[in-house]
Amino acid sequence: MANVVPVEPYTGEWYPGFKPEFLAAPYIIDGTGPFTKEDEDKFWFLDFHWSRGLTPLAAFAWGQDGYCWGTQHAAEALPLPPGRGITSRFAGTHLYGSALPEPDPRQVGARAQRLGTNLPRFLATYRQTWEAGRDELEATWDHFHGLDLTAVPTGDLPVLLTQARRYHQRSMEIHFGVMYPLLVNFLGFYGACAEMGIDTADIGKFLQGEDTKIMETDRGLAALASAAKRAGLRQVFEDNSGNDIRTALSAHGGSASQWLTDFDDFLQVYGHRQEATCDVGVPSWIEDNTIPLDMIKSFVLQEEDHDFAAAVRNALAERDDAIDTARSGLTKEEQAVFDAGLSSNQEANFPWWQDDHNYYIDLKVMIPLRRVAQELASRVGADGRDDMLYLFWPEVQAVAAGSPYQGELKSLVKDRRQYFDHWGALRGSMPKVLGTVPDTVEDPVLIEIFGLNPASIRAVQNPNAAEETVLNGVAAAKGVATGTARVLQSSDDMHRLEPGSILVCESTSPSWTAAFGKIAGAACDGGGMLSHAAIVGREYGVPTVTAIGIATLAIKDGDEVEVDGTNGRVTILKRAADLAGTEQ
Amino acid sequence: MSEGVLVAADSTSDTRPGEPHSVVWVDEVDPARAVAAAGSKMGRLTELHRAGVEVPQGFAVTVDAYRRHCTESGLDARIEEVISWLGTEPSDASVEDASARIRALFESIPMSDDLAAEITEAYEELCLRCVDVNVPTAVRSSATGEDAADASFAGIFDTYLGVSGPQRVIDAVRACWGSLFTGRALAYRLRKGISHHAMPIAVGVIELIHARASGVAFSVHPVTGKPDRIVIETSWGWGEAIVQGLVNPDHVEVGKADGRLLKYDVAHKTVVSAFDFADGRVTEIDMPAKLADRRVLDDEQIAAVAAAVTSIEEHYGYPVDVEWVISRHRRAGDPVCIVQSRPVTVTAEVPVAATYDPVALAQKYVFSGKPVPGR
Repeated sequence: MANVVPVEPYTGEWYPGFKPEFLAAPYIIDGTGPFTKEDEDKFWFLDFHWSRGLTPLAAFAWGQDGYCWGTQHAAEALPLPPGRGITSRFAGTHLYGSALPEPDPRQVGARAQRLGTNLPRFLATYRQTWEAGRDELEATWDHFHGLDLTAVPTGDLPVLLTQARRYHQRSMEIHFGVMYPLLVNFLGFYGACAEMGIDTADIGKFLQGEDTKIMETDRGLAALASAAKRAGLRQVFEDNSGNDIRTALSAHGGSASQWLTDFDDFLQVYGHRQEATCDVGVPSWIEDNTIPLDMIKSFVLQEEDHDFAAAVRNALAERDDAIDTARSGLTKEEQAVFDAGLSSNQEANFPWWQDDHNYYIDLKVMIPLRRVAQELASRVGADGRDDMLYLFWPEVQAVAAGSPYQGELKSLVKDRRQYFDHWGALRGSMPKVLGTVPDTVEDPVLIEIFGLNPASIRAVQNPNAAEETVLNGVAAAKGVATGTARVLQSSDDMHRLEPGSILVCESTSPSWTAAFGKIAGAACDGGGMLSHAAIVGREYGVPTVTAIGIATLAIKDGDEVEVDGTNGRVTILKRAADLAGTEQ
Repeated sequence: MSEGVLVAADSTSDTRPGEPHSVVWVDEVDPARAVAAAGSKMGRLTELHRAGVEVPQGFAVTVDAYRRHCTESGLDARIEEVISWLGTEPSDASVEDASARIRALFESIPMSDDLAAEITEAYEELCLRCVDVNVPTAVRSSATGEDAADASFAGIFDTYLGVSGPQRVIDAVRACWGSLFTGRALAYRLRKGISHHAMPIAVGVIELIHARASGVAFSVHPVTGKPDRIVIETSWGWGEAIVQGLVNPDHVEVGKADGRLLKYDVAHKTVVSAFDFADGRVTEIDMPAKLADRRVLDDEQIAAVAAAVTSIEEHYGYPVDVEWVISRHRRAGDPVCIVQSRPVTVTAEVPVAATYDPVALAQKYVFSGKPVPGR
């Protein structure tokens, strides 16, 4: 029995001044847009990746080029037999996703035939395919990075905008073109393992322990923290936070100057990173030092340095143990299948790729478009550097081509800023699902990445979600932890985490990785076994429960909660309100 | 050996020439006619014995002996009378009533002196072979068609464990005969229109192996049908508590190709079938606390059970399940004793994938619309 959550409250006027033609762009099956009544027949889930909301340019560039073009392109290329990728809609500034099924059984059969040819071919050439794609993107990145935008003629800006947008779009073709077959291979292996009686909680361990660019970045931050302590700068970090740390270090002089030089050198390599997934609206670490400095601060404040080498050794030992345990319970015939599947997945390692690729793609590919848009803003005398982010694509292009940025357009930007802030404040009360909610979904990405399993789909429809005190989800990383809940809307709030906090959020993306160095446990609305939170929780040994559906609704900031990552349960032990009462 | 069959019958002076024999020995009857004479359960023990498998000493009171008893004692006519009252669509209660009446007839009508003497003599021979006075035996129904063609009848006929002394053995034989007419068997035959004459019964009398541990073993997985492993279920003492589902047994899986132990799940075992010497029978008692959570089989014993079930499957050429016993006197390296074997009844057939095939796995687990197992 499918439940219908009406889309009607979200079908009114979209961003002020929006016209449907603003979204004209290539897509294969279905493009993005604001919700309409017809969308009610489909199942929509609130996508946790964009909990800040998206500005008009971000909504267009990501919603259309990433979500619709990227996934639909890859779903045709592999193809996925029963699915044609995903599409997106906006409720205010908030992005909802929906899977696109292939309804024709004959087509599904034909697509399965093509998959039969293409998947083995992909797996045989995975490494060169991924590395070629990655290198292509890096080369384009280098091109943009080498440009002195302040020196380019204004007349070049429209072309640069288009090139920057195409860079992101191309990155999404590569992203989903690699992700889908990797995921399909991994899930097939997962199913085979489960069928052979292998403990499914161990399957993720078989592929863990490989170094990623994200972990490499964390090690760099930790090394900077150690250097700061050695240079006697601990107090500066203790007394300040965010960009004030930089100001204080500059004032401190001496050893702090050298440290800042080292920090800036580090940023030149690792700082081209936004704390968001393909969101043109978010600054990079170089643009705004707040996040890297706060991350370094939390490493500085730890009594003992995080032993990355030991963590890797442990992860590898745990991996080898898990493989030995699994193999010992298999017959000789099963071992042959397992060994071949393991070898295939070690070569084309989905959990590793799921973390590593973020460095090259998700956290970086919107930076060129952002920088060109900022340059354009300064050329046209905009009030804010980010004014252009509140324009739709055709509007930005018109401004770049010389159409004056003033009057009505300028005031539209003001209105749209208000609209963005208004909807941003509503994030916590946005329905997790909209439209016709099924009992189950079949798309592996929705299940494994978004955590849309039958239990979480039921949970988000619970009208008493806010009162629930025992929450169930996916046991994503084992162990039990108790602590004070910090309910965060986005990684912008990460500074509110203290050592031992329980992180409660919609879900995490790579931008949250640093938090796992200090939190005791994590509880997420979304995310399956293969989500970022699950993978990083396992790498860092942080008890993690994902796909709870209603964690951010049921858990209040300051609640005392227990996260049981072994059994997939989160228990609210004491309410923040009651705790406050007993202290008085 | 085939000309030396029917030792016990030969030694019975008043058996008329040419008349079918009433008693056949497991280790002496011609295997080609063992199932026909001794029923499937006992006949298979002969086949196993000839194949070199360790089986208990024992003999069968033959199908012909049962037939003659029914004819000569007038039982046939009285059974017909009871059954004819039932009509074609009897109620459950009237079937149970008829069953009780027929079984009472079997208990009240004595067997001929000749047959009783033959059984007594065979029993005494069994005592000599076991070097025991009044050796305890297992008296088991061995129906024709049971366990094989018609799995519906598996396990519904009586077995008496620990029966000793000639008279008690004779009584147990008559009780087993009567179990051909349990309510369930009677109702089934009525429904299918099968005459009880079409499925006569033999009764096995075999030495009771004093069991340290016993259990069942399957040459394929009994649930999934996977043919690459042997599955063993076991508990302390005799196997009755396992067969009747009274105890949760230890569960063991062994790789067939390399004999490697794949899995040993120790169960909490609360009941044990034990021999009550005072009562002269095997009975179910509470499991001693110290044995309840103890692992039953060591690696050598597992290997011996696996070797036995593998050789039996090879002998027959099809998957089998067996009941086995480890005697108190067994030493490491000795074979385990097989007390029963039959074709495995599992129908699920999971072909074991020979290679890792990502496309087939994707179709099965990713695009089938069914959840991945274990999620």
